[in-house]
Amino acid sequence: MVYTKRTIWPLVIGIIMVGYAYLVQSGNMAPLIKFLNTGRYAGEMLTLGYAFGGVAIAAGLWHLVAAPREGHADYYFSTIAGVMFIMLVAFIVKWGLDPLMANWGRAAQPTLGFNFASVMNLNYVVMGILAGIIVVNVFKVPQWAENGVRLSRLGLKSGVILLGALYSFAELAQLGKLSVVMIGVFVLGSVWLVLIIGVRRSLPNSMTGVLSSGVGVCGVSAAVAAAPVVQAKSLEIAYTIGTILLFGVLCMFLFPIVGKAFGMGYIQFGAWAGTGILNSAQVAGAALAFQPGGIETLKVAEIFNITRVLFLPIIVLWLAVWYVRREQAAQRTVQQVDAMQVVISKFPIFVLGFILMFLLSSTGIFAPARHYQGSYFDNSEKALMKKDRTGKEINNFLKAEEVATLQKELDKVKSSDQKAALTRLIENKKIMSEDDDAMVRGVINSKALSKEGTAVLSKAHRVVRHTAAKIAKFRDLIAWFFTFGLVGLGMQITMASIRQAGGQPLVIGSIVGVIKAVGSLIVVLLLVAETI
Amino acid sequence: MEEKFDRGSALTIFKTDRHEDLVALVLAFVIAALVYFLV
Repeated sequence: MVYTKRTIWPLVIGIIMVGYAYLVQSGNMAPLIKFLNTGRYAGEMLTLGYAFGGVAIAAGLWHLVAAPREGHADYYFSTIAGVMFIMLVAFIVKWGLDPLMANWGRAAQPTLGFNFASVMNLNYVVMGILAGIIVVNVFKVPQWAENGVRLSRLGLKSGVILLGALYSFAELAQLGKLSVVMIGVFVLGSVWLVLIIGVRRSLPNSMTGVLSSGVGVCGVSAAVAAAPVVQAKSLEIAYTIGTILLFGVLCMFLFPIVGKAFGMGYIQFGAWAGTGILNSAQVAGAALAFQPGGIETLKVAEIFNITRVLFLPIIVLWLAVWYVRREQAAQRTVQQVDAMQVVISKFPIFVLGFILMFLLSSTGIFAPARHYQGSYFDNSEKALMKKDRTGKEINNFLKAEEVATLQKELDKVKSSDQKAALTRLIENKKIMSEDDDAMVRGVINSKALSKEGTAVLSKAHRVVRHTAAKIAKFRDLIAWFFTFGLVGLGMQITMASIRQAGGQPLVIGSIVGVIKAVGSLIVVLLLVAETI
Repeated sequence: MEEKFDRGSALTIFKTDRHEDLVALVLAFVIAALVYFLV
């Protein structure tokens, strides 16, 4: 079988990519970039546009002039055209649709009272899958791209491995025993419940397996990590992601209302949201909605949320054994399953890669070892006195007039802790500790000060919070790998397969989600005191 | 999609999941090395 098809399209894609990069470089795209607020992507528009465009042009010429014979060269080179096809769609999603939705979300906020793009999670994850589904169902994946579309899962797996770089042991050190026990019970409990209900309702084992991981642990990475172990199809991964996100939207609205109705404290609500809501971004959204005037709830919710990642390798192991047992039972094989054997033969190496990357990141080679997703606190003189590109020194300590602004508005702050943090800031012209930084963020969020006062605080916060350049790069790369993988995943989902799967996964995911939310609410109300 | 390919499966171009995992592992660590040395 020869995979390389004679076509002009990879060449056309290459010319479009290079042309776009050139237009960005020459400044012709400036109005569009300004409108979409994508200035921060200008660098990657050039690099990726030229790099992928160049490769696509070379692949396009190969498709036009080469007379390939069956073999490795034909098989592997022919994937490039498909990769370029996905990348073109990914460019449109990442630099067009994602920022456009964000723009519309912000514009509609005053009317709707909430940012629909952020609440509905209309980011590159959802847009990527949708774009892929639209391509395959409306236009069909062209024949010359089909072989390359099968590389999308490789992209997702590489993304999961790189994800390990965002975490470090320092974060785990913050975890309380309660968060580990509580999350453990609910993660394992949810997985178990989905497995039981899925089997009862005769869902395919692959669907049940991937759904249990997604609902139990959380989100895209968990679904992707568990998928190969249970031989899940693209549609089943997409269904899992859809269930989590839809359920999360509901939770984002309901959790703060229920939390206030029960008179929950910040720690209680943070623990509940971190356990009960399935998607990380939506956990943060609910925590901020519950406490707009501070970040105590958000911090607790984030700690509970991170704890889930710890359970990912355990869940993958469990599902590997469960899946083999179920499949053997279906084939009426009476042979005893050797769990160890299954683990050795089925455990996905890329999950080990995630753990290895996490260990590497914990040594501090990518960012100071105490970093939190690449962000760390540093108020040393060296960090505050910087040089710009021309070599001119920039002093980031508060200036006299900024100190005067804060002094004038100090009495507007009612909390004694926040007041003390602000007093220390005024005296030292810089934020003095991580705790003070949290207090300052609380004052910023509460909008207690005037616009000028808040601007001074934002600046003081910004200059002591540093983002490690390497981790920021990892985050960009992970987003690209995921966009690539999800667009390709969407391209493998046809309407016929959606009809065949029906709505069962959504129903089961939602039932378990509700049980988890109610169960964790009861546990939090009974066991979590306001001072852990 | 199965009958369209005589190698790999509908979801991957690789012979087995293990092959795909190993390629993902190598790719991710090469990228990590590039980030470490170049950024």
